Parts: sequence; structure tokens; C-alpha cells
Amino acid sequence: MTPSLIVSYVGRRAIPFIQLYALYVLGHGEDGPGGGFQGGVIFASSFVLLVLIAGWARARKDAPESIVDPLTATGCLLYAGIGFICILLGGAYLEYEAFAGANATAAAKQHAHHFALIGIELGVMITVTASMVTLYFEMSRPPEERNAPEDGSGDSDGEGADA
Amino acid sequence: MHEVYLVIAISVLIGVLVLLKRVISGPTLMDRILAVNVIGTKTIVLLALVGFMAERPGFFLDIALAYALINFIATIAILKYLEARGRPKTADEEDDA
Repeated sequence: MTPSLIVSYVGRRAIPFIQLYALYVLGHGEDGPGGGFQGGVIFASSFVLLVLIAGWARARKDAPESIVDPLTATGCLLYAGIGFICILLGGAYLEYEAFAGANATAAAKQHAHHFALIGIELGVMITVTASMVTLYFEMSRPPEERNAPEDGSGDSDGEGADA
Repeated sequence: MHEVYLVIAISVLIGVLVLLKRVISGPTLMDRILAVNVIGTKTIVLLALVGFMAERPGFFLDIALAYALINFIATIAILKYLEARGRPKTADEEDDA
């Protein structure tokens, strides 16, 4: 069953804008709706759209297990890592002002706060995106992919999800 | 200016009620899906209007934009599911069966 021309055309053009919007939501978490979690979910929804228009096997090639699974832990590492760096610099856990140094100006402290906050939000976003993508791929795995090894050699004509 | 937004919002809500009748009564599945999709589009307009009424348009327009993207994906997902399950029968075919 070939996907509709209109659906695949519109979908292919919508995916980059959904991902760009996810990054906008991430960046505006401080003074608007959003943040890491919401941005991650919107980013993951672009992969859901990819599965719908291109098929399961084709989409899994763009987001292979070998990349997505390590990313789930990388986000946690980024979050906890920034927290522990704050301790090493003499502050409390996740006390971002420690980045500016002990006797920094208020403006420098605020600057450090902003950057560290974006850093941990990025960590949250990476973990949420990877978890959501993994959840969706595992739930929508077509029957013929169930026992196949994950090397991309399975159904390569992009029709896996339609069968 | 708020009154103008309020009047527009209420007329959009009346449109949603009319569509809700279509969602409940059908008669075919495609009518229901189309009606739900249009309710989603009206919700985006409503969110924008609420944003201007609350005098924080930037805040609410972000939500409206996210809603528009998710609504698009949801409709495609439902249609894809129906396509995989088999084309829904038209009223004529149901009579023949």
C-alpha cells in the first residue's frame, strides 16, 4: 500500500518545521510555555510523523537503536553532570551561580544561571526525545520485524508498517 | 476591543457545538473524523483569541502552534489506522451486505 502523495509531500515538508519549533520551545522555556520536556515531546512527534509517512523500517534507519538508546542515558548524564560540576566549583548541586565564580558580579551570575539552565533543559529534551522515540518504535513494531536482528537488513523497501 | 474578541470566541464556540452534533450523529466514520479535525482547527483560533483577551498573545500563540502540529499528526495517524484496518464501508455497501 503506497502512502498518499499528498500526505507524504506535506509530511516531509512539515517535519523540519516541527523539529525547529521543538528547539524554539526548548529555548523559550524560561519566559513562555515549554521547556525541555515539552520540546522533547514535540521533537519526538516528528519521528511519529516520519513513521506514518515513510514506514517503520525506513524510519528506524533514520533513528537506529544504536544511536537512540545511548542518547536516553546521555541526557541524564548532561543533567547530572552539570549538577555535579556545580559541586566541584564550590556550590550546591545544581546551584548554577557557581559557574560564574565565587566573587562574580550579579550580572555574571545571572548569565551563568541562564546558560546552565539551557544546558540541563537540553539534557531533559535529549532524554525525553529518545525515550518517546523508543516507546513509539517498540509499540508500532510490525509483526515481521519482531524477531529480526536490528541491523537494518530487514524490510528495506519502506513498506514495513503497512503490511 | 475585548468585546470584539469575546463575540468572535462565542461564535467559534457555537460552531464547535454544531460540529459536535456531527461527531455524535455521524452518519459515517469519515464525517466524524472530519468534524473532529475541524474542531481542532477551531480550537487553534479559540486559543489565539483567548491569548489576545488575556493580553499575553505570545504565550498562547505558542500553545496554538504546538496544537496545530499535533492535531495534524493525530489526524494522519487515525486515517492511517483506518487504512490498515480496511477501508470503511459506504452507506450503499452496508445496505448490500
